[in-house]
Amino acid sequence: MTTTVAGLDSVTNDQVTAARATWAAFRRNPLGMVSVGILVVLVVVAICAPLIAEYPSGYGDAVLQGPSGAHWFGTDSLGRDIFAEVVWGARLSIVIAALSSALAIAIGVVVAVLGAYFPKADAVIGTIVDLCLSLPVLPLMILVAALAGPSLITLVLVIAFFSWPEVTRVVRSQALSVVRLPYMDAAKLTGGSSFWIIRKHLLPAVAPVIVVSVVLTASRAVLSAAGLAFLGLGDPNSWSWGRILYDAQQSGAMQSAWWTTLFPSLAMLLLVVSATLISIAYNDARNPRARED
Amino acid sequence: MRLRHPLIAVAAVAAMAALGACSPSAPDSSNAGGASDATLTIATTTDVVNFNPLIGNSRTDNWITSLMYPRLLSISADGAKSPLLAKDYGFTNPTTAFWNLRDDMKWSDGKPVTADDVAFTINSILRDKPAGNTTYGQLVNVDSASAPSPTRVELKLKKPDSTVVTEVGFWMNVVPKHVFEPSGNVAKFANDKDWVSSGPFKLTSVAKGQSYTLERVTPYPFAPNNTPVVSKIVYRVYPDINTEILALKNGEVDLIANALPPAQVKNLQGTPGIKVQEIPGLGYAHMTYNMKHPALADVKVRQALAHAVNYEAIRSVVLQGQGVSTGSSPIPPVLKEFADPTSKEYEFDVEKSKQLLTEAGYGPGKPLTLTMIYSLQDAVTSQWANLVKDDAAKAGITINLQGMDRNTYLAKTDAGEYDIYAGNFAIMDDPTTNMALTYLPGGAINYTLVDDPALNSLITQAQGTTDKAAQKQFVQQAAKLVRDNVYDNVMYMQNLYVAHSDKWSGFVVKPSELLSVVDPQSLANAKKS
Repeated sequence: MTTTVAGLDSVTNDQVTAARATWAAFRRNPLGMVSVGILVVLVVVAICAPLIAEYPSGYGDAVLQGPSGAHWFGTDSLGRDIFAEVVWGARLSIVIAALSSALAIAIGVVVAVLGAYFPKADAVIGTIVDLCLSLPVLPLMILVAALAGPSLITLVLVIAFFSWPEVTRVVRSQALSVVRLPYMDAAKLTGGSSFWIIRKHLLPAVAPVIVVSVVLTASRAVLSAAGLAFLGLGDPNSWSWGRILYDAQQSGAMQSAWWTTLFPSLAMLLLVVSATLISIAYNDARNPRARED
Repeated sequence: MRLRHPLIAVAAVAAMAALGACSPSAPDSSNAGGASDATLTIATTTDVVNFNPLIGNSRTDNWITSLMYPRLLSISADGAKSPLLAKDYGFTNPTTAFWNLRDDMKWSDGKPVTADDVAFTINSILRDKPAGNTTYGQLVNVDSASAPSPTRVELKLKKPDSTVVTEVGFWMNVVPKHVFEPSGNVAKFANDKDWVSSGPFKLTSVAKGQSYTLERVTPYPFAPNNTPVVSKIVYRVYPDINTEILALKNGEVDLIANALPPAQVKNLQGTPGIKVQEIPGLGYAHMTYNMKHPALADVKVRQALAHAVNYEAIRSVVLQGQGVSTGSSPIPPVLKEFADPTSKEYEFDVEKSKQLLTEAGYGPGKPLTLTMIYSLQDAVTSQWANLVKDDAAKAGITINLQGMDRNTYLAKTDAGEYDIYAGNFAIMDDPTTNMALTYLPGGAINYTLVDDPALNSLITQAQGTTDKAAQKQFVQQAAKLVRDNVYDNVMYMQNLYVAHSDKWSGFVVKPSELLSVVDPQSLANAKKS
């Protein structure tokens, strides 16, 4: 028993060291650091939206005015300030990203780990995941969102429900290689319960993949949410980046007022590109071979 | 009359009217130059769903089928009807109505257009009740139609109905009996090939999702020398108004059939090569409050809601000044014969709204929360829905917006599943008929679900008289009841704008987006310079 505990401790210590090494390597990657900076700025903007701009509501006198000192990003077809819309839109976009990716990750990881650990379940789970991955996701999202009616909860559920198979796929392949390692057999020999083994040994081993999945799923969720909002399936009671685009399209302003589409698109681009770069930088930093280069 | 809902509102018609009215049988050929080989390309945003004009309910359906199936009467901007296929019309006694037809119209297979076709169309609608058919609702008091001679149609009425001749005459497309009768049931006839048209154009090829090609049909008595000027009309399908505007600017299309978004009008007016044409409105936009909802059954709550809308802001910002107040009355001022200029619009007054709510027992302790449905395909309504929500919030009323796909919206509307309904009617040309459909219990568009005996009696009396002065009195009293009790919250009548290339001229302008410049007479006379 004592030996086991000592063994566990050393595994834990190893992980701390690995995490430190990863972080050290990550810090040396300028792209990764800039991306983290951008992401932090977006999150801060989302959290502090009320301090940055007044909630865009009602109407303004100057409709479809280009960017100016008074309206940095111009105004939309009802004369509302697009800068304020983008700022407040960050809030909803990031909330949707966070909630739906959290949900998708939770479902995806549980399914993946169970599948990897219990070979019998894996046949069924593998088939379901393959099936889900082959579904035409966007049309199905549109269908479900249209039937359920536009709201924040609908969006989160719809996006999460169609995102978890991707998480499962990535996590499961990593978990499958981990369960074959000798230390997993050793863990089983100690007589620990399956739950304990999964929690203490399997999950930590796949944690890095999960981190990458979180970032990628979240950025994909932002795009899905914007896509649905652009099709009119967003929540009409609050601002999101997709809704700004949708309003621009509906009012026929797209071809004459570039600012109505450029700024919300830039915001999405920043979020998605920085999320992707972070995951790439993280992957590189975590890989000892890449680290040594 | 009205139509079933914006979209539904279909109708386009044959308008050959403006000219028709003054010189129905002598087409003006002075400078039209006669036939040309030109093709007129028109942009639209939707495909044709039904080629059978007795079923159709989308705009494009109507624009295209109306080029093939004539109407008896046309309409002008003040709602007045003028002769088209019918030369004249009237009543021989209170329960017998008639139309006399002109004798020079032919189907494209050479057979004449006769009273038999008209009687067949009416009797088939009564028998088969085609889905979404506008005319069916107008035929409630009609027993049957007959054709005592090739140029005379008679309607036998179950009870006096003073508006049936003009309303059915304007709204119904006449179809060729020899083509539609063999199908057995006109409600199930697809009519999707081998079209037979009375002109000015006939569908010849269809590429779904891309284009609809129509070719000239002669003789067509409402075009110069009985011949439509252009040889071909092509309707091209675009994903949305943005791409349509781009296509017009690039010269890919000559005309956009859909009305321009209000905020784009000024922009296009200043664009070289493009001409923007004003189309007078003849319908209205409104909100109705579902009286089956316990709170909305209280007139004070409805009045509170009516006072919590900034109508002026909606007209000046969303509509860019292109909307006209109706004084909260369901009779818009353009219907000069009937309108009551003394009707006053509900004032935007948050305090008054709060006070009315308090009197009705609502307030901070018992907040009022309502849902409002509207169609996402209706861009203007989608925009003002937000203003309505924001202003109601100031009065302490929470309105949850439920913008939805048009079909879902129509289904919810029919099922009465809403607290507030927001939408618009394209053409409300006759107050008596409109009110019968909008406010009588069981009326096809009675979205308030109102049943007020006093109102019912006024509307029924208006229907029963052919005396214009008496009718005017009844409908004005009814309109006042509607306004005072907020049985309907009519917000504005919108004037529309369409854009076309300045190389084209000769269009005939008709009211509403349904007719606009794409109605048959207009397209038959359009020419390229």
